[in-house]
Amino acid sequence: MYALKYFSESTGRTVVEVGHRDEGARARRIEIAAFLLPALLLFAAFTAYPVLRTFWNSLFEIRPNGNESFVGFENFREILAADPVFRRAVWNTLIWSTIEPFIDVGLGLLLALALYTNVPFARFFRVAWFTPVLISTVVVAIIWSWLYNYDWGAVNLALRGVGLDGVTRAWLGDPATALPALILADSWKWVGFNMVVCLAALHSLPSEVMEAAELDNCDWWAKLRFVVVPMLQATLLNLLVLAFISRMKVFDLVWVTTRGGPLWATETVSTYTFKRAFEWRSFDLGYPSAIAVIWFLVVIGAVLGLTFLLRQRDRLEF
Amino acid sequence: MRRDWLSRGLLWTALALYTVYTAGPFVWVANMSLRTTPEIMAAPYAVATTPHWWKFVEAWTTSNYGTYLWNSVAICVSAVVIVTIIGAMAAHALARYRFPGRRLVGAAIFSTIIFPPQITIIALFQIMVEYDLYDTRLGLMLVYVAIQLPLTVYLLEAFFARIPEALYEAAKIDGYGGIEVFWKITLPVGFPAIATTIILNFIHLWNDFLYAVVLISTDDKRTLPLGIQKFMGDQMEDIGMIATGMMIAVIPVVVFYAFFSERLIQGMTAGAVK
Repeated sequence: MYALKYFSESTGRTVVEVGHRDEGARARRIEIAAFLLPALLLFAAFTAYPVLRTFWNSLFEIRPNGNESFVGFENFREILAADPVFRRAVWNTLIWSTIEPFIDVGLGLLLALALYTNVPFARFFRVAWFTPVLISTVVVAIIWSWLYNYDWGAVNLALRGVGLDGVTRAWLGDPATALPALILADSWKWVGFNMVVCLAALHSLPSEVMEAAELDNCDWWAKLRFVVVPMLQATLLNLLVLAFISRMKVFDLVWVTTRGGPLWATETVSTYTFKRAFEWRSFDLGYPSAIAVIWFLVVIGAVLGLTFLLRQRDRLEF
Repeated sequence: MRRDWLSRGLLWTALALYTVYTAGPFVWVANMSLRTTPEIMAAPYAVATTPHWWKFVEAWTTSNYGTYLWNSVAICVSAVVIVTIIGAMAAHALARYRFPGRRLVGAAIFSTIIFPPQITIIALFQIMVEYDLYDTRLGLMLVYVAIQLPLTVYLLEAFFARIPEALYEAAKIDGYGGIEVFWKITLPVGFPAIATTIILNFIHLWNDFLYAVVLISTDDKRTLPLGIQKFMGDQMEDIGMIATGMMIAVIPVVVFYAFFSERLIQGMTAGAVK
């Protein structure tokens, strides 16, 4: 309960207010807590606590049945200084996450432009191009391991069909081609996503811009280079960063097709962490936790770095 | 004029080829799902002239696909229902109330959207084992709620914050309490955004492989992606049956997409365009 006496400028009178502000504020606080509590509890139990625990774990050697021994930064030292598989996994993941975003976003933009210029059957095309996005990666992985099959896969059949028998191979079994083959399979799934985002961005542009370019009689390349790309810059950069982050986590596709083989040619940081934690009978959860911590810091660092760089660029341009 | 005609022709060829590239493998698997393995081995790319629909029945009865499908449906539907309710409540609190720590709570939850899954998954495995939730549908369901929560709150908060303030003032004058405001204004007005997150969450979880492979071990608790992968290992030769299983996993998603394509695309683009 409270009472307040004050001069109200709007009415020019002195007002006495009596009310239950404390109780009102308390009720409000209870409301806020009630709305937030379930989400916060879940977040604490299944996200925040596991993250902290992984950091903690990374300083231990953790064997089954609660046998833990503190090793300090020994795991980190070993990973960074003496683990050739980790190095290979980082290299593969970095190649994957730098190359694929450009394929996905570039092709997505071109397809979006084709749809934007109202080609006939645009609706059909959009469905056909977008559907792979919705398919489970496990299914995508199996489809592509069949397409890459040496004897009856479509890729080799097509090559034999045009007389390139010398080029045929077991695409996923050959260390030289396994990684590019998987990158292609992954982009098969993701181009459609970039296409719909680019299309949405194109539709949100003022139509005068495109019409003006039409009147100026630009050829399509000039239109793309000087009108579309600069206008969509923010969206395209966002898509590149998004694709980059997701590729840094790539797991399912590799796991179902090659399990990181042959000879670590497709090992990624995620598959290697998984192997060290649950597959190799090394029975130590501390070491993979340390890998997870390192990779977590790399991903967060990369995201912060990229956003910072992009902001700097924006500032320079205006 | 001739040049125009030529460039049209090139464009059409490119689009047709790309369509074959994206849709071809899919049509091929759909076709294989209706053929027996001996037929496929004899001619991998022949059309199913006599479609064997019984393969879908067999997938149900002799293999465990029925169980996998049921597990996927039960786990995904309950996870989506719970994450929608909890996420909408949290988004409502963040969007409609001003309180100290609001920005901090939002930032903490949203930042986890970009976390790589490894940073939680090993510890989640330990926690699940410690609390007897390892290899249970309940455990996987809870984890699914947690991993979809940040994106759900993020998308809903952005939408709820744009609901006109006047609606809430009118509600206050009508004497609505906090719960009623949420129930009678935020939920109905925010329904388009809620529907979008439901569809998005459902498809993400339906296709999840990583969390399921870590947290589930026995066959009768496997979800569809795990079941298909297991089938692939078990019966390396039975390509026809694997294709049937793949179609069982894909068809619900495609049906979903057919009904809600606009909403789904809105949801997927919402995060990226900004």
